[in-house]
Amino acid sequence: MRRVLIGSILPALFIAVWEISSRTGTLTLESLSRPSDILLAGMEGLGDGSILLATGQTFETALLGLTIAAITGIISGAVLGLSPVLERVVDPTIEALRPIPAVALMPLALMMFGFGVSMETTIVAYACVWPILIVTISAVQAIEPRLLELADVLEMTFVERLRKIILPAAFARINVSLRVAAGIALVVAVTVEIVLNPRGLGYSLILAQQSLRVDVMYAQLLWLCVIGYALNALLRNIGPAAIVLSRASQ
Amino acid sequence: MQLRAERTVAGAATEAAIFAVSMHQVGLSFGVSPLERRLVLADITLDVREGEFLCIVGPSGSGKTTLLRLLAGLIKPTAGEVRFRGQVVVGPSRERAIIFQDYSKALLPWRNVSGNIALSLEAQGMRASEQKPIIAALLAKMGLEQAANQYPGQLSGGMQQRVQIARCLAQHPNILLMDEPFGALDAITRQALQDEILLLSTEQHMTVVFITHDLEEAIYLGDRVAVLGDTPARIIETIDADLPRPRDQLTTREDPGFLALRHRLFGLLRRD
Amino acid sequence: MRTIDPIKIAALGFALALILTWQLLAELKLISPIFFPSPWRAGTVLVARFLDGSIWAPIVATGLRMLLGWALASFVGVAIGAAIGSSRLARDLLEPTLDFIRPLPASAMIPVAVLFLGLSNAMSLSVIAFGAIWPVLLASVHGFSSVQPELRQVSDVLGFSRREFLQKIALPSAFPDIIAGLRVSLAISLILAVITEMQASLPGLGWDIFYAQRVYRSADLYGGLVLLGVMGFAANHALTLFERRILRWRNLHD
Repeated sequence: MRRVLIGSILPALFIAVWEISSRTGTLTLESLSRPSDILLAGMEGLGDGSILLATGQTFETALLGLTIAAITGIISGAVLGLSPVLERVVDPTIEALRPIPAVALMPLALMMFGFGVSMETTIVAYACVWPILIVTISAVQAIEPRLLELADVLEMTFVERLRKIILPAAFARINVSLRVAAGIALVVAVTVEIVLNPRGLGYSLILAQQSLRVDVMYAQLLWLCVIGYALNALLRNIGPAAIVLSRASQ
Repeated sequence: MQLRAERTVAGAATEAAIFAVSMHQVGLSFGVSPLERRLVLADITLDVREGEFLCIVGPSGSGKTTLLRLLAGLIKPTAGEVRFRGQVVVGPSRERAIIFQDYSKALLPWRNVSGNIALSLEAQGMRASEQKPIIAALLAKMGLEQAANQYPGQLSGGMQQRVQIARCLAQHPNILLMDEPFGALDAITRQALQDEILLLSTEQHMTVVFITHDLEEAIYLGDRVAVLGDTPARIIETIDADLPRPRDQLTTREDPGFLALRHRLFGLLRRD
Repeated sequence: MRTIDPIKIAALGFALALILTWQLLAELKLISPIFFPSPWRAGTVLVARFLDGSIWAPIVATGLRMLLGWALASFVGVAIGAAIGSSRLARDLLEPTLDFIRPLPASAMIPVAVLFLGLSNAMSLSVIAFGAIWPVLLASVHGFSSVQPELRQVSDVLGFSRREFLQKIALPSAFPDIIAGLRVSLAISLILAVITEMQASLPGLGWDIFYAQRVYRSADLYGGLVLLGVMGFAANHALTLFERRILRWRNLHD
């Protein structure tokens, strides 16, 4: 409780000073707006659904890209994790491709797909696949060898092996990488929208800035903070929740 | 024996007046709310004479470390007062050097041995040129010359503890407070360091308060041994370790006086 | 005579095989040369730019941007991290606000920065600093708050002032954590440098890549990407070397 109180001192002070000085005329930058206007713009945006629509669009591509990255990353990671030889052969190529920032590929994706969902999804997928791949490889490598021997003895197919042994054993660490990747997915999606793609939250931010509707712009920034924070909180609890659910269903 | 008699007769009056450190009805409780409040030490009265080697024994968790930290001034008593040379202790000071049991946490891993010793000298505002001779002397005294440029991570436990002692000596302290300093060392190193600390304290006329759970170590080293026990902890008894000096690992430990003291202290500790 | 590791050869072979496949597909016109220039073409473009010296200007521009933004973020990040890590009050005051702002993508600050600073280098630096500060900040908080309590007590006994404690004891103690944070921050700085260049048409590798797409010069585009990858790798490697030097006391165990 004390933490909440003390933690709110600075923001409250900040908002108060901002509001008061913009009303009394000491602060008259056009780029600034004021907290009360921002709040109003925010409520308007929520009310007429525009913010929610944009959010939905951004989440759509982020989720899609994340899913593609997850499937690709986990399967490849499992294959490479199981075969040390293969992993060492492919590893330098991975290390060479990894430093290339996903966002630098934006122009390339634009060339190939034009504006729209595919382009953004591709970039998100590219950005998310690396952490998932690398963590999966190391998680699979860390699986108790006896469990894998058991799979051999029971003559399991690769898919069965994946479902029954590899994924459950490596779940905890893969889960963490998925959380990290989810954060990346959101950031990359918004970034692509800001720089290039005319859809989603990033685009509405740019629109607001270019049409000089600063109150809308700040409101959207605030909204971004809120969903980002909520997403993190949600993800932090998804792992344990998933474990509980899977135990319950057994 | 002779020395002891002389001291008592000649300086009894002046000695009794000002002690190196003294605790008078000191109590310490942790916790703020009445529910949490836990009385750790109660009614501790202790006087340490200048140049005396006082050992405090007690079982683990009996509050020995807390008592030492009170003497150092790192924590304040909730009852009674701690005095250093007659003045009330209000906080830690360079004059009261404290030597920790866990040497690895008390040394700076990113500085070599000389650098660690230099820390105390930097605190006194000495320039590098002034520091050099002092560091060299301390390295020699503690047998650390070969290790001067090594890092704590490369040294054995005994060597690391020597570095800590050297750093404390560099502080120019008036009293050495030692918190089970040899507890984590092997028996042979422990004995070597015991003798080194005895030599040091005699040479420098240093007042030492030495905490340990090892009965024999306490008797071997101390002029007096105080027994800490009970919950909340209090000084059960203080015994004079009236054994001939200089002490010797072999002969002193076989001295009938030593054995008698050992019996007595064992009985006192076993009580709780 | 060193034996050659067969695996390394296989690894090299794999990479080469990928490149050759790409080249083959381009030759056979199975993939559009507009989107996928042959590696050969991309390579020759790069070499040509090396030879006529035109390759250095964008590298330097992006590099400077990245380094300056990173340096700014690092100083501020360590300073705030030191405050939060060593003072409970500072932590309670600042942490909740920082936790709330942190999920914001740095690129989302671009419109705000453009409003205040226009399409300028200042805009680029402020966005880079905003994004790059987080890893350093978090690492510093962790580093400063995990200083051994014994060291704190030693500092009190020796009579060091708060500043001396931070400088002589807390900061060196937090170094390993801080450097780990610096490394991530550097990577983020590069990414944001590229993004801001694209957005604001500022000279540099990001802009080159963006422009190459506009005029459908895919060979230039790929060349730029390769350079970017190399830059990222080189910067990280330099930092690793620096880290090894500063933390050499960690590796000396008998």
